[in-house]
Amino acid sequence: MPAPLTPAVFHILLALADGPLHGYAIMVAVEETSGLAMGPGTIYGTIERLEAAGYVKETPAAEGDRRRRFVLQPAGRKALQAEAKRLTALAALVRARRLVPRES
Amino acid sequence: MAAHRCSRLAYRLLLRTYPREFRERFAADLQADFARLLERDGTLAAWRRLFVDLARSVPLTAGDALAEGERRARIAGPILPRGESIMRSVLFDLRHALRGLFKAPGFTIVTTATLALAIGANTATFSLVNAVLLRPIGYHDPGRLMLVFEAIPESGIERFGVAPADYVDLAAYQQSFESMAAYRTRSVELSGGADPEQVAVAEVSTSLFDVLGVGAGLGRAFRAGDPDDEAAVAVISDRLSQRRFGGRSPIGERLVLDRRAFTVVGVMPPQFEFPRRGAALNAEPADVWLPLVFNPFERQARGMMYNNSVIARLRPGVSPAQAAADTSALARRIQDNYPASLRSAFTLTIGVTPLADEITGPVRRPLLILLGAVGIVLLVACANLASIVLSRSVARQRDIGVRAALGAGRLRLFQILLLEGLLLAAAGGAVGLVLGYWVLRGIPHVVATAVPGATDIAVDWRVLVFTSAVSLGCAVLFALVPLTGGLGRNLHDLLREGSGRATGSRTEQRVQAVMVVTSVALAFVLLVSAGLLMRSFTRLIAADAGPPADNVLTLEVRLPPGGYRDAARIRSFYGSLHERLLASAGVRAASLSTDLPLDGDGERRAFTPEQGMDSGQRPALAVTWVHGDFFSTFGIPLVRGRYFSTDEQRSNRSVAIVSARLADRYWPGEDPVGKRFKWGLADSPAPWQVVIGVAGDMVDGPPGSEPPTHIYVPYAEIPDAQLAAPLAGLFRRFIIAVRAETNPRALAGIVRGAVAALDPALATAQVRPFTELRHDRVAPQRFSTIVLSAFAGGTLLLAAIGLYGTLAFSISQRRREIGVRVALGAQRRDVLRSVVGRGMMLVAGGLVLGALGALGATRLLAAVLFDTRPHDPLVFGTVPIVLGAVGLIACYLPARGAADVDPLIAMRVD
Repeated sequence: MPAPLTPAVFHILLALADGPLHGYAIMVAVEETSGLAMGPGTIYGTIERLEAAGYVKETPAAEGDRRRRFVLQPAGRKALQAEAKRLTALAALVRARRLVPRES
Repeated sequence: MAAHRCSRLAYRLLLRTYPREFRERFAADLQADFARLLERDGTLAAWRRLFVDLARSVPLTAGDALAEGERRARIAGPILPRGESIMRSVLFDLRHALRGLFKAPGFTIVTTATLALAIGANTATFSLVNAVLLRPIGYHDPGRLMLVFEAIPESGIERFGVAPADYVDLAAYQQSFESMAAYRTRSVELSGGADPEQVAVAEVSTSLFDVLGVGAGLGRAFRAGDPDDEAAVAVISDRLSQRRFGGRSPIGERLVLDRRAFTVVGVMPPQFEFPRRGAALNAEPADVWLPLVFNPFERQARGMMYNNSVIARLRPGVSPAQAAADTSALARRIQDNYPASLRSAFTLTIGVTPLADEITGPVRRPLLILLGAVGIVLLVACANLASIVLSRSVARQRDIGVRAALGAGRLRLFQILLLEGLLLAAAGGAVGLVLGYWVLRGIPHVVATAVPGATDIAVDWRVLVFTSAVSLGCAVLFALVPLTGGLGRNLHDLLREGSGRATGSRTEQRVQAVMVVTSVALAFVLLVSAGLLMRSFTRLIAADAGPPADNVLTLEVRLPPGGYRDAARIRSFYGSLHERLLASAGVRAASLSTDLPLDGDGERRAFTPEQGMDSGQRPALAVTWVHGDFFSTFGIPLVRGRYFSTDEQRSNRSVAIVSARLADRYWPGEDPVGKRFKWGLADSPAPWQVVIGVAGDMVDGPPGSEPPTHIYVPYAEIPDAQLAAPLAGLFRRFIIAVRAETNPRALAGIVRGAVAALDPALATAQVRPFTELRHDRVAPQRFSTIVLSAFAGGTLLLAAIGLYGTLAFSISQRRREIGVRVALGAQRRDVLRSVVGRGMMLVAGGLVLGALGALGATRLLAAVLFDTRPHDPLVFGTVPIVLGAVGLIACYLPARGAADVDPLIAMRVD
């Protein structure tokens, strides 16, 4: 089982799951899905590490836009899935303990 | 919006905190994103987010960059990742630099040798400065020690010592000093034990050692108010103690001085030296200190015997200026104690001068000038080395470029070059230190006569600090100057130029040009300085030639009061000695006198001519008492009249021979023979003396001084009481001079034998040819001149080598271009002209700058020049010609190489 991902990594990978995005779009997406107010430095810094790990890759920029876009790689998708599984298992665990009221 | 623009600017600055790689890749995106955040959230919210962001992301990205650097380093080798411990990177680069130096032995040897010579010269010069000017003189708190002197402005002599009676008054009245001592030096005969010898004695007030604040190393020194005043006791130097008593303690031992026994009560510490050399009066370091006791006559005599030095220690809080004001006020009060006739005749003044100024005064400026000059030599050496390092770095550009490409930061490149420089400078400095020390120790006699006061030259911490600092400075200069241009350029240039076709960029050529121009300019300054000193020196020795006494041997003998109590005994001694000498084989002429020509150690007296004295002028003049053929022995010409007759030499006939200058001054246009004068002032009871002859003028004072007005009288005219006075140092010291057929040294044995035949216990001293005196007395000037000329020559050579090297290098870089030109039809002459022209442009620039610099710098020399103006047109005219000629040769040699370029070969080089 791979090590758990940090929230930043998880949310960035999640944001990229639907298709290539540039930094600003990732930032906005992360904000929406998690409420985390990440800055550009954190976004790009993390992306650089993800690149080094082979999770994401820079992809040619879209027409008329000079900003760098990034696309999720198979390894990244795998890690995202593993993390999703881990979270699901965690959520199940939490529910089993009845710590969270069942949604009605 | 202005606020947003400010924010964006601030953010752009903050981006610098990211590692470079990250910044280079993402800066545009980061800024764009920030701009959008600003628009969406407003300034405040955007910045709040940003600060958190920076705090998290900078360390994150920096960590990544570090890991990446390490990965690359494993691939690339000799580049360490940034952030590695400094020590490790230094050691690493040090090894690398060493390897590089070993791989280029020619460069290493040339550089180290140049540095060693330059640093060695600096070390030697500084050691002298240190020994004379910087090292403490061995007395307690020497800054508060003052010398007190008297002067009579009307006499024309700048300053005297202090008369005994005046000293007694001064000590009683003065308020500025906490203690005061008088002293005077002479040499006495030391007998008993081995051969009799003459030793330097200082008679000192018993308060002297309290004034100096120095105690005895063994036994005790005198103390103020000690009964020592009356006792026959002596304190001796460690040197004399070792020589006479070996390992034994001399305390309580007897010492026979001038045939009188003294008991040794103390031995001073080994380094103790008093008086110090360099003062105008009483400056012979003593081996024996005896209590100074003024006899009743001395305590009352006024207006004479101004031959005691007085040293005093300032009271706390009293400045030298206050002390000077105090003593000059006292002078009036003291003169009130003079007899009425002397009160109106002249004004007595009393001044003070810091001891340190007095003993280092004459050598301070020449030494500092030499130190400045040797600093220039070093600068030029550094400029040369910088040029070489630069050439080398052009050749190594690819290496540097690759390193930079692989992530070596500027600081790291800086470090590598600096370490290389430090290694070279350390080697050069170490060799230079040994070299400098060895040179000084190798010529102790030269140093001792040339730099009075430089008695003990040692490598102490000051010299070590100086040499280290100089070496470090060199390293920084010659290693880093070349970087000033190179570092500013970017990687692409470095990599491209490293491709083997490098011509050395404009920046490098400019730096090298600056080095050449600077070297030429500095060489100009030194050459002019050396030229001025040479001119000054030749004029000085011409003016200071003295009499043509090339074959004369001189020596001195003192008649101790113990054995020569009455005048008849003394007269019989000098009379018989003269006869014996004349009868000796090889002696052409012989004389005895109270002082030597040139050497200003003779008597000065006031005199009054019968007529011709202009009012107000009461100058002292030099008096020499002579016996025998004084004038023919020394070769002093007789201008008019005649020499003393045998009769006049035997008994007092009140006759005198005067110098031409004196005759001109008082009896201009008249025949001086037959004129009369008397000793003392107008009301003096002395009898009239008749002038029988006029002798040529003779310098009798410091080198370069004007010949004084001089009177010569026979010994026969000295009254018996004065001749036999036990303390009359003047008449008890006889200067013996003999003129030889050829080699005067050969007469030394004969003269000693003649003296011993009369009194075997008498010690002779100062046995030397007169030429040696003449030679030694201008030794300081000769030393400055030779050393400065050597420095100037070295600088000229360095500048020429620098010019040659720069041109040769630029030609080697331009081979292709020259080849193309030749291929296109350029003549050999064109190539020559182009290269020489470029070189001579640099020389011309240097000449202009140098001339300007020299005009300023030579003003500092003015004080040490004799009869030579600091802007001497001959020197200023010659130097550019010499420099230009040397420059032309330095340009022509490499230019010839360029002209011989074979286009076929040159264009194939790639």
